[in-house]
Amino acid sequence: MTITRRFLLTLSVIAAAPAFAAPPPGDPVRGQRLYQSCMGCHSLDENDVGPMHRGVVGRKAGTVSDYAYSSALKASGLTWDATTLDRWLSNPQALVPGSKMYFSIAQPQDRADLIAYLAGQKPK
Amino acid sequence: MSDSDHSRRGIGRRDLLKCMAWAGSGVVWTLGGGVASSVLAGCAPAPVKPSGGLSFVQISDTHIGFRKAANPDPAGTLRETIARIRALPVQPAFILHTGDITQLATPEQFDQAQSLLSEIGLPMFCVPGEHDLVDGNDPRPYLARFASRDARGDGWYSFDAGGVHFVALVNVVRLGDRGMGTLGAEQLAWLRDDLAGRSDSTPIVVYSHFPLWALMPDWGWGTQDALEAMSLLRRFGSVTALNGHIHQVQQKVEGNLRFYAARSTAFPQPAPGEGPGPGPLVVPAEKLRATIGLRSVTLRTSDAPLALIDTALADA
Repeated sequence: MTITRRFLLTLSVIAAAPAFAAPPPGDPVRGQRLYQSCMGCHSLDENDVGPMHRGVVGRKAGTVSDYAYSSALKASGLTWDATTLDRWLSNPQALVPGSKMYFSIAQPQDRADLIAYLAGQKPK
Repeated sequence: MSDSDHSRRGIGRRDLLKCMAWAGSGVVWTLGGGVASSVLAGCAPAPVKPSGGLSFVQISDTHIGFRKAANPDPAGTLRETIARIRALPVQPAFILHTGDITQLATPEQFDQAQSLLSEIGLPMFCVPGEHDLVDGNDPRPYLARFASRDARGDGWYSFDAGGVHFVALVNVVRLGDRGMGTLGAEQLAWLRDDLAGRSDSTPIVVYSHFPLWALMPDWGWGTQDALEAMSLLRRFGSVTALNGHIHQVQQKVEGNLRFYAARSTAFPQPAPGEGPGPGPLVVPAEKLRATIGLRSVTLRTSDAPLALIDTALADA
């Protein structure tokens, strides 16, 4: 086996291994209850310490008007979907170092439920 | 009826209703040797000037810079609070501010808060709230303006006054799961050293922004590693823990540990578990002042109880 071939095989193994397991299915009703812990800083329809959440799933990160985002989040290039939100809620500083959020949720099921709830909060 | 009469007999429903009609929403918490008993403000004897004791005032959650419907003018209600402090029959020795001095920790909000709070004209001891952190977790601008000279780490410190040991803890900088506060290993090690060698009979007042008790974990109203701090404090005969953050009077007694959450000077929040979640609660403008206010605390001579009086701005 040449070095190049071994290198490519190694790369293919890395590519096949997801950085995070696929999020479990979420329960939006339980997610609504969990959202209470977000409400110290966020609400669905008003910017506060954090930006408003309605329509967050599918939105490009750092784009709510009249909210003062960190330059790190504005430059992140992220779009919020189930995968990016799961990583964000696991450890926002690992995903976007220098962002303003330090709140995290440890349990994968809690994150999935919360994301399922947020996905249902469509723009008015 | 004296304080001790209340302590022995408690307060009946008939008394309670009578006093509620008379006194509004002020509540006196009387801390004796056993379980705390509550009486409403109008039923308590008038505050007695302590002989050789100490009195101080706790204010909290001034949220300077907040502009929403729950209170478009928190600077105005802070000024009203300051007028209340200046009118107290016994001037407090100092003010404890249990955090969320500002809404968003901007230089302008810190400037305005410093200017307003200096009008009290008394020494002030603070802990930061999460709203006083810049960019989510930077306490340095707060520390530069409000920290005690002896503050360590993120702003924790202690001092002694009137025979009582006061401990300021910071639990807002590193958040635990679902937004719970944490103290962290460094602060807990400091607390262990700070308390070592102190007599078990030393009264302790510990204050923080987030509650040190599991008031409503689903709303982040608690401190994840508080039990470690409580294990260090449990040997003391009298421990009073004061907090802000939840913008309402709440209390809990666990043996010798007594926990008291204070009103904001700016706006109320819902009672734990009521409504969709925590956040500024909009009440009719004419009712706002019944939901915000200050707390005065009197520490009398060693064998007398420590009394907390919560006064809403609407109280006569």
